[in-house]
Amino acid sequence: MSTKTDTSLIRNFSIVAHIDHGKSTISDRILELTHTVAARDMTKQLLDSMDIEQERGITIKSNAVRVMYDADDGNQYQFNLIDTPGHVDFTYEVSRSLAACEGAVLVVDATQGVEAQTVSNALLAMNANLDIVPAINKIDLPSAEPERVREEIEEVLALPADDAVCVSGKTGEGIHDLLESIVYLVSPPEGDASAPTKALILDSYFDAYRGVVATVRVFDGSIRAGMRMVMMAANQPFLCEEVGVKRPLEQPLDELAMGEVGYVVTGLKDPALVKTGDTITLEQNPCAEPCPGYHEAKPMVFTGIFPIDNKYYENLRDALEKLKVNDPSLVWEPETSVALGFGFRVGFLGLLHMEVIKERLEREFDLDLIATSPSVDYHVYKTDGTMIEVTSPQDLPKPENIEHIEEPYLKATVIVPPDYVGAVMQLLIDHRGISTDMVYLSDKSVEMHFDIPLAELILDFFDQLKSRTKGYASLDYEFADYRQSDLVKLDILLSGEEVDALSFIVHKDKAYTLGRGLCDKLKEIIPRQQFEVPIQGAIGNKIISRSTVKAHRKDVLAKCYGGDISRKRKLLEKQKEGKKRMKSIGKVDIPQEAFLAVLKVDDE
Amino acid sequence: MSLTNNNSPVESVGALYVHIPFCVQKCAYCDFASSATCADDPAIDAYLASQLSDIRRFAELGLLRECKTAYIGGGTPTILGTKGLMELVGEIRNVCPQLEELTFEANPDTLDDTMLTNASTYGATRVSIGVQSLEDIELKELRRVHDAQTAQNKVRAAVASGLDVSVDLMCAIPEQTDESWQRTLLDVVGMGVDHVSVYPLAIEEGTEFGRLYLGMQPTWNDEEVQARRMIAARDVLEEAGYCRYEVASYAKQGKRCLHNIAYWTGITYLGLGTGAASMLNPRQYELVRSVYCKLPHIHDECPRIRISLLGREVELLSSDQATAEDLMLGMRLVDGVASESVPASTRTKLIEEKLARTEGNRLVPTTRGWLLGNELYGTMWDIAKGEVQTLSW
Repeated sequence: MSTKTDTSLIRNFSIVAHIDHGKSTISDRILELTHTVAARDMTKQLLDSMDIEQERGITIKSNAVRVMYDADDGNQYQFNLIDTPGHVDFTYEVSRSLAACEGAVLVVDATQGVEAQTVSNALLAMNANLDIVPAINKIDLPSAEPERVREEIEEVLALPADDAVCVSGKTGEGIHDLLESIVYLVSPPEGDASAPTKALILDSYFDAYRGVVATVRVFDGSIRAGMRMVMMAANQPFLCEEVGVKRPLEQPLDELAMGEVGYVVTGLKDPALVKTGDTITLEQNPCAEPCPGYHEAKPMVFTGIFPIDNKYYENLRDALEKLKVNDPSLVWEPETSVALGFGFRVGFLGLLHMEVIKERLEREFDLDLIATSPSVDYHVYKTDGTMIEVTSPQDLPKPENIEHIEEPYLKATVIVPPDYVGAVMQLLIDHRGISTDMVYLSDKSVEMHFDIPLAELILDFFDQLKSRTKGYASLDYEFADYRQSDLVKLDILLSGEEVDALSFIVHKDKAYTLGRGLCDKLKEIIPRQQFEVPIQGAIGNKIISRSTVKAHRKDVLAKCYGGDISRKRKLLEKQKEGKKRMKSIGKVDIPQEAFLAVLKVDDE
Repeated sequence: MSLTNNNSPVESVGALYVHIPFCVQKCAYCDFASSATCADDPAIDAYLASQLSDIRRFAELGLLRECKTAYIGGGTPTILGTKGLMELVGEIRNVCPQLEELTFEANPDTLDDTMLTNASTYGATRVSIGVQSLEDIELKELRRVHDAQTAQNKVRAAVASGLDVSVDLMCAIPEQTDESWQRTLLDVVGMGVDHVSVYPLAIEEGTEFGRLYLGMQPTWNDEEVQARRMIAARDVLEEAGYCRYEVASYAKQGKRCLHNIAYWTGITYLGLGTGAASMLNPRQYELVRSVYCKLPHIHDECPRIRISLLGREVELLSSDQATAEDLMLGMRLVDGVASESVPASTRTKLIEEKLARTEGNRLVPTTRGWLLGNELYGTMWDIAKGEVQTLSW
């Protein structure tokens, strides 16, 4: 791409959709149709590069790919397709990605119609002042009802139905029309090419040779290699070593011009200095105002992560450091547990983030890990007048030294079909939520606003919300404030011994129910041992619940057909391996999932 | 000097096993190598011929000179028919001059009277009948071919034939109740058999039951049920004068199965046929390898070699591992092992966990230890150091 694209021929857009409506297949189809990637090189869902992204069908990192489109009007357009994370944990990252666009393709499944996440995605895009191109996908399916869905788009989302394009990500039908619609419906970028450089950082990744590489959108001015620049919020100067675009392989360019999206090689070795949402400008001649909306990514959820075998403690530390390189939001400090030995208390953006990191640690670094129940950051006001932040139940001071405890609250929004309002209300009551407002968006969807403690949300709220609304509800939230709550520490005793790693902080009114539920759940999870294992829940010295894992009575007595002793021996060795993956505490072997049992306690 | 002329006893194995991998129908729980076919399948004759020829070749090499016990197992050996089965029995008797016990396994549906009358003539001493249960509803669930009446008739005929008779029973199976198990046990005892083997059903991968129940822990196979039934079997059989000499085997005075005991006491054995396993010393291994040329050459000195023909695997055990294995296997027997041969820490652990107790200078399994066999044997095997070296071909 040697020729510079006229700004009027640039289109920056995201593709957004309810889960499984076919966002990634449409992205892939666009890459193919614009000859960015040859059909034979297509791996499914090309933009999701991590294994975990491809397997789970979720996008974790933002990604921007440039494709050149020869439109029917004879012009060649520069399309910058910005892929956004698809989970509420990454709402901030999504908002930054959308801020880099002028348009959004809103994908709606022709067989399912408008769903809750379609609405919330549409609202996000509208709030970001984006031009929306509705795309009705999967029209190749026999059960497709494009006309009904077209009506829904107009009724529920108040988008002009005539703009909707019918496509099939599977067959490629209609993708050409979609590209044409993007040309006509999405505005070209506006900005001042001669003003001091102003570029928004959408995401970044670490390259072992070149340091941190940032994905940026240029709003004013331009970026060229050799420029002395600065990250405004981080106040970090750097020398721009290279600029370019992904197609989807990196292709260096002379310049990223006003309105364009691409990458900037910063040469910086510390990923923490390059923050999503920060603004890049010239060191000597900075822009007047940074891009709006920046804030520090703050960990919301904390959990203890321990190697099952303590000799792998250093390996775990190394692994965390390696992951942090591409995920600066990851923070941790050493933690010691009587039961689990040495490990780390790790902070995450949310539950999915936690799951993904744990899975990557185990898979990419071959570690056997135990994660303890997630906690939030409690503000504990002590009788001596000081306040400490507590992210681990073990660190909670004795009750007599606590004046009061405050916990983080969220402002949350659920969008749900009217039929499920009652179910959501009940869920809110169960989770200490306080309803603040309710708006009927249409006769098909209601927006419910409420305040809820973060601690409630990270337990099982999201799963419950999905199951009680048959998957229709979508959830958004943001931090509100700290509020005083009546909280206690619930301890778990196995065979009479307190297991510190199983303790958690809970609202007093829920302690009994949860204590009972947890004892029952642990009874299911902990396998029978040679001896009976009593499980007790306690607040302070008071036992509030109990259950018992019965003693193991009889194991498999396999027949040694024809003297096949080897086979029997292999079974014994397999059994031993299984035990190794458990944590021995006292005489009790505890499986990894026991430490997350609190997430699996049913509310009933 | 050729190897075959060497008279040293280490050349000969102590036991011979011949596997007949054919059945009329595959049972729902069975994961052993066997394929369902009809009795007149020509493949069966061809298979028999090749086993007979192998037996002769090994005999010529001296491998069977000191062999004391032989066992024809299945599958279903009786699918060979009287002629085929007697040919095999006769050949084994013919080439093993020291033979004290020759057992053939039988299924009630293919065990006929001519077999029983001919067996002793040809040299068999013992028949082991796969009865499993004497309740029709249970047999049907197991996909057994025979019904209870047939089983009873055949067991009675076998007892009358003068052969030593063993019966295999299975507990913790679908439809079984404590009462029906009691009935089966009492009926078997009433028929005057010499030996009874009792196993709880294990749900194995790759079987019909595996597909239906694996990981589901059906109540009929619950570990409490297994424990209760195994204890009930012990009580009924001991009351009737049978002695439990091995975790799963009960025998009347003088009727213990020598071949069974050989497996647990470090006696070398040669296994022939599809699913057979062998345990050999290095010299025996080289002799077997001179016939089965695909077996890998062994460079290192090792005291114990195990071959799995089906798994195409040879295991080389160090003397350390062989000792641990002997201790592990010894705990299947009522007499256990010599206390002094068990490291003190292991002994203490087993006694503390009530898996074993001392009796004179022996460390013997407790009832609890036999029920929790994997704990008991696993602890013994833990004495072994390092992984077992494995070669495949």
